[in-house]
Amino acid sequence: MAAQQGLAAVTVCSTAFSDLGRVQAKALGFSALPIAVVPHPFGIRTRSEIHEIAAQCADDIARLVCGPKPRSAPAVAKRLPPVRRAEMVEAPSDIDDFSRFCHSRKWGDGLPLVPPTAERVEHMLQHAGRAPDEAVATLAPAYGTATVENIAINAVLAGCYPEYLPLIIAAVEAMAVPRFNLQAIQATTHPVAVWLIVNGPVAKHLKINGGGNCLGSGAWANATLGRALRLILQNVGGAQPGVMDRATHGQPGKYTFCCAENETENPWQPLVAERGFAPGCSTVTVVGAAGTWNMNSHAKDAADLLRVVADTMAFPASNDYIYGGEPWLVLSPEHARILQRDGLSKTDVRHRLWELSKMPAHRLAAKDYQRARHSRRSELGEIEDDSPLPISVTPDDIGIIVAGGPGTHSVYVPTFGNTRSVTREVAFSAGR
Amino acid sequence: MGAGIWVFEPGAPPSDVPQQSPQTIDGLAGKVIGFIDNAKPNFNNLVDDLAEVMVTRYGAAAVIKRRKQSAAIPASDVVMRELTEQCDVVVTGSGD
Repeated sequence: MAAQQGLAAVTVCSTAFSDLGRVQAKALGFSALPIAVVPHPFGIRTRSEIHEIAAQCADDIARLVCGPKPRSAPAVAKRLPPVRRAEMVEAPSDIDDFSRFCHSRKWGDGLPLVPPTAERVEHMLQHAGRAPDEAVATLAPAYGTATVENIAINAVLAGCYPEYLPLIIAAVEAMAVPRFNLQAIQATTHPVAVWLIVNGPVAKHLKINGGGNCLGSGAWANATLGRALRLILQNVGGAQPGVMDRATHGQPGKYTFCCAENETENPWQPLVAERGFAPGCSTVTVVGAAGTWNMNSHAKDAADLLRVVADTMAFPASNDYIYGGEPWLVLSPEHARILQRDGLSKTDVRHRLWELSKMPAHRLAAKDYQRARHSRRSELGEIEDDSPLPISVTPDDIGIIVAGGPGTHSVYVPTFGNTRSVTREVAFSAGR
Repeated sequence: MGAGIWVFEPGAPPSDVPQQSPQTIDGLAGKVIGFIDNAKPNFNNLVDDLAEVMVTRYGAAAVIKRRKQSAAIPASDVVMRELTEQCDVVVTGSGD
């Protein structure tokens, strides 16, 4: 942020984003940051309209940035250690009234909530293995500090069992890694949701479903783990829908988006091993997922199957093509076995899909074509109309897990594009 | 409220970020103005028009325009260093 460098700075926001700009400036220590507002949507304005808008905007910028010098010289803001514990408040004991109380305070996601009483939170904290006031991460866009305690509080609200806590803490740590790009994921108009993939013994121990209907309903762990993360992103990270979370539509995965990998039905190495963790480790991987797209194919040979999967991946209104993303596939055990039976390793599958899914640049809308040309120039050089755009920078950027039950369905998971998945080990001992 | 229960608030601890006054300047005449184009459609056109007005109407000495690789990622360290060293004011963008 330019203001943090000691420069005079002005941010130009379209009207729909001005509240986000003000809240975020405050979170960064510049609550009085000048903001010049232009009409939204700005991208559809004609050239002459922009000329008129610019004339007014220039006057606003001049007025906002010129003035007496501040009494104290700007300095880089320093955060104090999060020593404060969560506060308690009296709430209705009736479960219906309690949910209304929570939603009036914008604590919820639209579903009934479990009261985070001292007893429930203390019970959950017993599984943390860390001090309640320990800072786990700072979460954009409000830069709230996620502590062990407030993670546990949100997990209780979501209906999690106490033994889920170490996994949720690991997921929060993963989301805060810069390459995940949580700032953009939380504040974008894109529907991106955080998808949790769980590997290792912890998945079985917590009964996280990686088999039939693993991305659907029915498993308590899948339902509440993803929900807990959403509440943390909203209550601690500040992504309140319609305010800081600017999603045009969002997606159902914002309620919960969590599954295990079906390691017993996976003919290849599971994700946990690909990410360099030792056998027996438990991990959680966070992915900035755009949604799920079912691929029902009765193809019985690898070439036929890969062709239709690649065709499904290649759609033009896709952030993965515009920015060079990290698309994911959830292959069903049946589809995975066909590929493995025909002699393909996971690496082979990635390389073939990467080649087969290349898309001529002219399939993109004109404005998106321009965005791709700009954003991928350093990677691909000058992009022309017929340039074959790869979906990701390298074949290795295509994520693959095996999950689900019997059936000829696999799932394509496009992503936000400007994000990379992050895997963290979950503190878990099978003896507990 | 009838018989109540006590529950924890689920938000982050209150913000401890000290608020600072943003830097200001005494006028735009003779100043160098930097623009960070957020790479969203039309923002480059807005930057072009603003730059022209800043020079012709307000007497700015020079403008420096730099475009981010994508709206969803920060400006590069190289760009930030260049603008910090050379500019008196930086104009950024947010939104569609």
